[in-house]
Amino acid sequence: MERNQHSVRTPLNSVVERRSKSKSYRLSYRSGLGAASRPCFTPGLTARRLDTSRKAPKSRDITEKMTKEQLTLLVQTEWQLSYVTPLYRFRHTQLKSYSRQLSAFIAAEKQQGLAVDVEGTDNTFRVSFSLVQGMTESVDDAETVLIQIHRKSLFASQNEPLKPVWSGWLTCINVNPGYLQSLTKDFICLPLFCSSGAGALTTLVQSWFQQSFDCCFGPLEISHMSLQWLIALWINCNPESSIRQLKMIWTLPVEPPLKVTYTVNSEDAWELWRTVRKEDRAGEEEEDSIDIEEVTSFMQGLKGHFFRHFRLDLSAGCLNEVSTALGSAKHTGMIKISNSKYLITTLTLLTECAILKMPI
Amino acid sequence: MAAKSNLSGSPDADLSSLSDRSLSSRASNRSLRVAEKERRKNDAEDPFVLALKYFSNVEAGTPVHGNDEVEKNLVLVERAAYSKGLSPEAISVMLEFAMSLRMGSGICPRVLKCLIPATVVPQEAVVRAVAWLGVANIPVNTQILFIKWLLTVFDLIDAKDQLRAIYGFIFNFTSEENLCPFICHLLYLLTRKESVRVFRVRKLLELQSKLGRQPFLLNLLSLYKVFCPELVTLSIPSQLKSVFRNHNLPWKSALTVVQRRNSPQVASSLNLFSTSKHKTTSRKRKHHHLGLAMLSSAVNKEPQTETSRQLVPLVQLHSVAQLLENMHRIELPAQMGSLLGSSLGLHYLDCVQDESALLRLNFWLGYTLQEELLFSSDEGSSQSSEESMQFLDKLLSTQHFLQEGFSSSEAFLYKFLSVWDGSVLRPQILGLLSNIPVVPSSQIGQLLFEPLMQLFFTSSLFFKCGLMESLNNMLLKWLTWHSVYALEDDLDISLNSHTSINMTLSGFKDSVMELVDFVGRLASVGLQLEGCHSLLLNFILDFYTTVCDMFLKYGLPLVVVPPPGVFYPALFATDPVSVDRLAFIMHRYKVNLTSAKSQEKLTKQAFRISRQTFKEFNNYAVFMVNCLWNAKLIQPGMSIQLGEELLLKSNVPEYWKSFDLIYHPAFMSYAVDFHQKCWPGRKDMDLDSIKHSKPWNWYLEYLFNQGYDGLKLFIQSNTSRQLTAGDGQGNSLSTE
Repeated sequence: MERNQHSVRTPLNSVVERRSKSKSYRLSYRSGLGAASRPCFTPGLTARRLDTSRKAPKSRDITEKMTKEQLTLLVQTEWQLSYVTPLYRFRHTQLKSYSRQLSAFIAAEKQQGLAVDVEGTDNTFRVSFSLVQGMTESVDDAETVLIQIHRKSLFASQNEPLKPVWSGWLTCINVNPGYLQSLTKDFICLPLFCSSGAGALTTLVQSWFQQSFDCCFGPLEISHMSLQWLIALWINCNPESSIRQLKMIWTLPVEPPLKVTYTVNSEDAWELWRTVRKEDRAGEEEEDSIDIEEVTSFMQGLKGHFFRHFRLDLSAGCLNEVSTALGSAKHTGMIKISNSKYLITTLTLLTECAILKMPI
Repeated sequence: MAAKSNLSGSPDADLSSLSDRSLSSRASNRSLRVAEKERRKNDAEDPFVLALKYFSNVEAGTPVHGNDEVEKNLVLVERAAYSKGLSPEAISVMLEFAMSLRMGSGICPRVLKCLIPATVVPQEAVVRAVAWLGVANIPVNTQILFIKWLLTVFDLIDAKDQLRAIYGFIFNFTSEENLCPFICHLLYLLTRKESVRVFRVRKLLELQSKLGRQPFLLNLLSLYKVFCPELVTLSIPSQLKSVFRNHNLPWKSALTVVQRRNSPQVASSLNLFSTSKHKTTSRKRKHHHLGLAMLSSAVNKEPQTETSRQLVPLVQLHSVAQLLENMHRIELPAQMGSLLGSSLGLHYLDCVQDESALLRLNFWLGYTLQEELLFSSDEGSSQSSEESMQFLDKLLSTQHFLQEGFSSSEAFLYKFLSVWDGSVLRPQILGLLSNIPVVPSSQIGQLLFEPLMQLFFTSSLFFKCGLMESLNNMLLKWLTWHSVYALEDDLDISLNSHTSINMTLSGFKDSVMELVDFVGRLASVGLQLEGCHSLLLNFILDFYTTVCDMFLKYGLPLVVVPPPGVFYPALFATDPVSVDRLAFIMHRYKVNLTSAKSQEKLTKQAFRISRQTFKEFNNYAVFMVNCLWNAKLIQPGMSIQLGEELLLKSNVPEYWKSFDLIYHPAFMSYAVDFHQKCWPGRKDMDLDSIKHSKPWNWYLEYLFNQGYDGLKLFIQSNTSRQLTAGDGQGNSLSTE
């Protein structure tokens, strides 16, 4: 009876709060749908979506801060994308020691399953971690980390340079600050992982990261929508640096499967882009931005044109690959960014995609 | 005298016990023999055993081509091999068959490829096979395949002494150029100090001069050098490594599958520590996510913590006592996912307030669920669903242990529900569903109700029942949460605001209200769809048993009565249990409402239960009393109205009586039984005679004695039993 009385006294709208110590901890189990202080902890909610409007890419010279080797590596390689959950206790100050640890880890894993290794414990793989200066946009972004693996060939002479066999980098550009707030300070958020090189080494690097920083790696596909965004972002740069031509590969779900390669001249594409751009931005001082409507109407224009000629509606199909002179991207998560000026813009979009794929 | 009899008595006793023993041993012998006979008989009928018999007895020179029998038997053996692996006897039979080339060399590789040992490989079989290598005319490729197989299963050979005894014999094969690399690898595994001889070293050096500095020769030589440095003067390059590759390709995947299947099933209950083996993730296995990581301590330790105190890794603790002793200096594992299998770890996690640790656990869990169940492309393979099931079971038992769900599993569930077909992993998913914490009423529809509604209306009766049960458990958990935390409002221990949940009482009430309404809608339509199936009705009544007591049991000032779509089907149900349960629920509603009312009067302020609720309840109660007690089906002013003409049209005589306690389909059989017991002599049955006041009271007594307590409570609280049947009036609650 006591209890009932008590609960009756609970005034309407009183805050049902967990007060005791053990309770405060337990809260983090719950999704905190009701917890106002953790906005991004709204798991599975549709709240997290790709932005519907983004800044038009501005050509930015990031070359001055980056070393030349780093830049050429980033720009001239086709990368396989993955998403990474936040790294626990990753320290940018300890890259040297990480290099050592990862080298040792790879050596140990490589030796597994072999008959007794008699001699020659010498490492054939050399790992180096390095910071990529200047690869940040907002103040919250963690600095980009580049990992390279070189291999000493067995019969190489002393002076011969090491052969690079694998490289990868973790980055985070313009991440949603709300997401960062939901993490504790022990975590470093570098959600985008790009790798290039032997798959076995990628797996090794990932499992080392997994064991050292308690994070998880998953494949990051570039969705239909993101590919369209990339087209728009690249087209928008045409006046500054020509895209040469826009090439798209579609697949249509018919039997047998139909693959359509659709190539558009840069001038034609720009002409079409200009017509779909909203011109009612009068008096707008803020930066030029692109809306999702513009992107979809641009794509509609392209599809309509195709339909007039071939009587084939591309809306039924799926956009699989996009390439221009500024870069190329595939649905499977391969991307190549050919022009360093637009690196940041592209990576902002990809960071967003990676955050979108986070489990919580 | 006594002593003597004792003395004489004891040998007798001994004797008898002896004979007992021999008897029993004879009996057990017999039973053993019987069992053996039985086994043989079973074996004789087992097609697999017959197939093995075929291969051990088949005559040399039997043709393979066009021979259906060999094909059939080989398929049998292959199937057994790839599913369970082959027993040692089967391995020796098949190996002997293959290497003796009894049916030619064509079939040999196929047999070799299916030699997947279930447990061990008998050494004798291997030795015989090696002997065949020297005798029979086996093609080189098949010879290589055999050696590769031998290298793959090397660790599974039960003993190696006889193999070492024929070291010299094996060594001779090094002169075969094609075999040499593999023979060297085998020798490398077999070599001991006494096998290193001058003539062998010489032979190897000779080979080296012929074949060049081949890594396999160098490797074997380097091993020789380790054992007998004086015999090998050659200098071995220091960078020599990774030359003996693994040749296990044809068998590797099958072997891992068989071994995993044969390893004892992971107990679903939590062990003190996770026994799951640490697997290298470097192997390209599709489903490596579901394995738990090993509890291992962190590599990158924070320097300051190391200096300040000695940390104890969780993996070193083995009992709760140890845990308590080291509570202040426990180091969490490097990968939090490993805690899922360790109850000690969970105990610890439950006590400390380490938000980072929880986040890590949640990230890992969310990632695993998402990659394995949401995005996994190869659906339908039984192997993976078996693994998923075990994983989810483990997750569920962890959640039960903590009595709380994880936010990541909740997030996963919201996504999964929209793509779920309602049958894959049903018990597990429904279990996770019932662990979902309170969802704000603004989001509950989109997140839960929409996908669940679609699933509910398109699934089988059993899914409907399962979902009802799961939603009932969910409600129970919410209410328990409320009753624990709402009452602690007065405790004021301050804590950081970072994690506090801000859910107002009215917000909580809204959520519960939404849930109860939702279940009411599902139940009404579900009962119609399934023709008021009594199983479904039972699960629905379970839910309302929880709902009717929300105020008294859980202190939540909210009363929601069931919708007509649930009330009437339950009242008119053909099984007495459902009616009885409805009566109990109505009784509890009455108790709750009465108590709420009296408290409202007592404390003045506080909540109000809407008049509408009282009205609805009263309508139901009056209808129920009228129906069961007064034999009046319709009364003016009731919530449901039936046209008099319509009822007359049904041609049921005295239709108004059809649902009283005598004629109600659920109780009719009791009435008949009672009638026979009461008036055993009577030929013609007149059930109406039970209505007379004395037999009526007896009849009620009789019914209540059948265990219908709900009915008893309902009738006792809603009618005055002293009155005769005809005058009984429902004394309903007033709305004032």
